[in-house]
Amino acid sequence: MTTPQGNGRVCASPIDTAVLMDYWLAALSPDDEDVIEQHLMTCDQCGDRLREIIALAEGLRVLARSGSLNVIVSDQFVSHAAETGLRVREYAPKPGESIQCTVAADDDLLLARLTADLTGASRIDLSWRDPRGIERQRMQDIPIGGDSGAVILQQSITWAKASPTLSMTARLLAVDAHGGERVLGEYTFNHTRTIPGPPGWTID
Amino acid sequence: MLFELSDAEVTERIAAGHREAETEMCRRMAPRIRLYGLRHLRSAAAADDLVQQVLLKTIEALRAGRLREPEKLAPFVLGTCRMTVLDLRRTARRQEELLEEFGGILVPEAAAMPTLDDDQLARCVGSLRERERSVVVMTFYDEQTAADTARFLGISEANVRVIRHRAIQQLRSCMGAAA
Repeated sequence: MTTPQGNGRVCASPIDTAVLMDYWLAALSPDDEDVIEQHLMTCDQCGDRLREIIALAEGLRVLARSGSLNVIVSDQFVSHAAETGLRVREYAPKPGESIQCTVAADDDLLLARLTADLTGASRIDLSWRDPRGIERQRMQDIPIGGDSGAVILQQSITWAKASPTLSMTARLLAVDAHGGERVLGEYTFNHTRTIPGPPGWTID
Repeated sequence: MLFELSDAEVTERIAAGHREAETEMCRRMAPRIRLYGLRHLRSAAAADDLVQQVLLKTIEALRAGRLREPEKLAPFVLGTCRMTVLDLRRTARRQEELLEEFGGILVPEAAAMPTLDDDQLARCVGSLRERERSVVVMTFYDEQTAADTARFLGISEANVRVIRHRAIQQLRSCMGAAA
């Protein structure tokens, strides 16, 4: 790495964005970190880019903690969320089961733990259907833990809090290379709206 | 113009007693020290404290002519950052008397942090592939390591880094950042 320049001069060897993110995440080796810190101590241009990375990381941290994303998460993630004081509401229906569920105004995270035999499936989709059987959402090729035997879905808490009373069915589907599908598990959630006020959305 | 001086020239002027050179050194080094502090202390307030303490120690050293190779100002400041962070972690003791003595030049205007459109960021994260979104959420929720995420996904740490880098690249592009 050549000597960079400070004072608004152009950097001759800008640090790669991925490396800056690794630096921020403390994912570099001590030697690599040392090289980066020496560069940053003389280069304001890369410092400005690191500030952008920090702002992005902070935005992602806030978003990740907001519970507003639909995302597959790990057991460790769930445990840590509970340990940090978040109010976690979790439902764990068995395959073929239909359960009653709701969400409260002060819930922070809403989770569905879907157990199924996932062995042998190279790709798994998670499909949501309305009572008429119309697919409303599909999460394609969801990540599956090595030996979990379950999928933990964090459902958007903002979406759920705005939801009307309705039933939705989740299906875990094994999808083969030709697009053929096999149902691994089907789970029906009968959601009752308990938060006062009108729902934020309705189903067509 | 002090702005145009090299670090070595600024250092030499401080040793010769030029107070304006001290202000220039603080203006130049404070944002860099603050970034180091944000990275290692994970707190804006602690990073601001670090800026003050490192600048104090640096001014003292430069006034006393203890930096024998003036062109090595940046390595000296980096070394001082490292020692100070260690001290902060051990004692968390403040140097308030010194702060009073040196006053306002220790708090030059901090470089503004970029702001993000949170709604746009949520849309961009929503457009990621499921695996990428999971990696991003688990990485940034509590800075889970690549090893933790790799264990969950049943893939290698290197693969987690590749997925994360690809996702970050896509997010920056979606947010309109320069490459």
